[in-house]
Amino acid sequence: MKYIGLILFFTLLQACLPFQLNEMGVEEAEMKIYNEWLYAIKLQNLKVNNEVISRPPGIEQLIFRMVIPSEGGTNLKTHCVYYQVPYKKIMGQLKIVEQKNDSICPEVSGESSWLELKRITNLKVNLLNFKLIINFQHQNLNKSWSFLLPNITNGLRHEKFQASKEQKLFPQLTFLRINKESFNLRESKYLGKISDRIADKSAIRCQQIDKNCQIVGEDRCDSCSYGWYEVVDYNCPQGGSKFCGQNHCGEKNEPACPRGKKTEDNSDSGICQSDLSAVLNADHILICQ
Amino acid sequence: MKEFKRFNVSILIMSICAVLLLGGGFAYLKKQNSVALTEQFIQDKQALQRLLENSSEIHRIWNEGEDAREWGLVKKECLKHFGITAAFDESFLRCNPMLLQCNYLFNKKLNYKFVEQEKGNNQKFYRYLSKSNTPYQGIGQSGYLFTLEDKLNHKQLSILLNDQCQEVFLQNRIYAYGEEVIARPSEDIEDYRFDNFNQNIYIDRRLVMNYEINDWIDFGNQNFTKNIKRVNSSDLFLPATQLNYSQMENFCSFKGKQIMQAHLFDAATFLPMDMDDVTPKSNKRSPYYWTKKKGDYKEDCHLLYAKDCINKKTFQLNSSGPSWAGLLDSMGGIFEVFRNPIDPESNLKASSYYFNFKSPWHKLGFRAGWDGEGFDLRNFNFKGLNPEVSIEKFQVGFRCMRESR
Repeated sequence: MKYIGLILFFTLLQACLPFQLNEMGVEEAEMKIYNEWLYAIKLQNLKVNNEVISRPPGIEQLIFRMVIPSEGGTNLKTHCVYYQVPYKKIMGQLKIVEQKNDSICPEVSGESSWLELKRITNLKVNLLNFKLIINFQHQNLNKSWSFLLPNITNGLRHEKFQASKEQKLFPQLTFLRINKESFNLRESKYLGKISDRIADKSAIRCQQIDKNCQIVGEDRCDSCSYGWYEVVDYNCPQGGSKFCGQNHCGEKNEPACPRGKKTEDNSDSGICQSDLSAVLNADHILICQ
Repeated sequence: MKEFKRFNVSILIMSICAVLLLGGGFAYLKKQNSVALTEQFIQDKQALQRLLENSSEIHRIWNEGEDAREWGLVKKECLKHFGITAAFDESFLRCNPMLLQCNYLFNKKLNYKFVEQEKGNNQKFYRYLSKSNTPYQGIGQSGYLFTLEDKLNHKQLSILLNDQCQEVFLQNRIYAYGEEVIARPSEDIEDYRFDNFNQNIYIDRRLVMNYEINDWIDFGNQNFTKNIKRVNSSDLFLPATQLNYSQMENFCSFKGKQIMQAHLFDAATFLPMDMDDVTPKSNKRSPYYWTKKKGDYKEDCHLLYAKDCINKKTFQLNSSGPSWAGLLDSMGGIFEVFRNPIDPESNLKASSYYFNFKSPWHKLGFRAGWDGEGFDLRNFNFKGLNPEVSIEKFQVGFRCMRESR
């Protein structure tokens, strides 16, 4: 009689086993990933290229990171993608950890995860023409995932007589994950007001060049709400510092407009209204006074 | 005692059966659920693929504009829908939301629909999005937001289409400002020269149009668009001429751009004498954008839409051919205002249909003045070269420019 309870317990446990093995399916994982990575704006640290990852056996490694806008696009987040190479009794595992902000991924994942796919082997990752292809075996079945990365850009191409060309899958097209927050300007992190002026010291410097022609700090000009403009400061080959907002160069107490350096006949490196002259201010910016 | 044992065994067997049945049931349900889920993910993936294919098609139409086969199919109904009866340069349909709207409204074969946007007075299937009106991170350049919905699965996908295809890159070279200075060797007068090496400057090929102002009214900061009226029908593709100077500046800012600067307009319109020499010793220049010869002035309405042309053909935007850099209407048509950082009082391209072919205003680099506030004669300074007829309201247009990485 004393074994009856035990037998019942184990039988019940056995019956409930399917619920303990509540692992994510491959299709579910693929869609979960695709619904995020479609909007990725950066793919970095991709260490492998279309070769089966076989080393180091049994050890987890970071294989790449993705930077993705959050739902509504008001923030960025990072997906750190790890792979554990199978070895003897250690299962192969793909693990994605989600981090807030555009942040660096640790080399090892830690405990929490956004997605885990176990029992995978022979993982291969390849990036080809803005398409991330992930091949692997899952429970001895060959699987192939193909994720378009249409928001990843390889920079701009400037050509005379042409409009600017973004080097991406669909130039001039970006996929956005829009919701109501996407129009809530209180959430905006973009810089500057339309009324900001250098003359009244309200303009935000989005890129600073120092006297050694080095960029100081972060270049934030892509975050200007109302565009940006360049000023004349140290006559560096790459141009001067940049400010957010409406350009009033040449006007009284505003910076001089860049005049370039390749004309031998111009003594001034800045353009000012004809009744004003260009003078360096305390920040070494050429101002029209 | 035997009875009791038999009872216990029966209970045990029944319990085992119950547990097995329960477990089996759960396992079956779990399996069914898993199959349903897998099916749902496959359908989701198919819907996403359809949306991506449709996005690719929309992208093609966006770039091809009037050359897209879809325009031929929907043109008649589209013009009727928007009440456009006047002729216009159909190249405006590139990077223009109108064509996408018409394709959606009149092409019955589409397997997607556009989700109607909440904002705006009119029925619009898009929003204009720029860094000034959305907190969305990393949107790059401004553009038109459309949300597609798959008709089968109802899955949605939002796309932003940039409208920069109407811009042109200003070649890096040495340029000169204003009319050419011809001085004797003894005189200390020189051309005002500058260069744009290491600068990526993009200029609008054409003047800002009324439909763009409508989008600003609908999606821009209302504090800046007060008292600006929407314009419809055939005027949609005409240049915007109801804004004062400050509003023009603000419109360009809304798009992350600046109002056109006079010296850069000169750069993009004076025809270089030697296209291969980007660092010439001097900048000789003709006052006409179509020729290197100073005396090669032609009274041709295709080159310069002057007063004499009004009776020959109706004015439309882009009536004058492109300058060497690709700018349209650099002479003739309506007035165009600039920000002039050198001579602020000379801020107006006066070459226009307010003057006949014989007028001295038809020269590049020769500018009148506008106070930027009103449109009566008293708001302009024509330096004594006033129009011969009285005009109730002059039309002043503008274009934007920007610097890029």
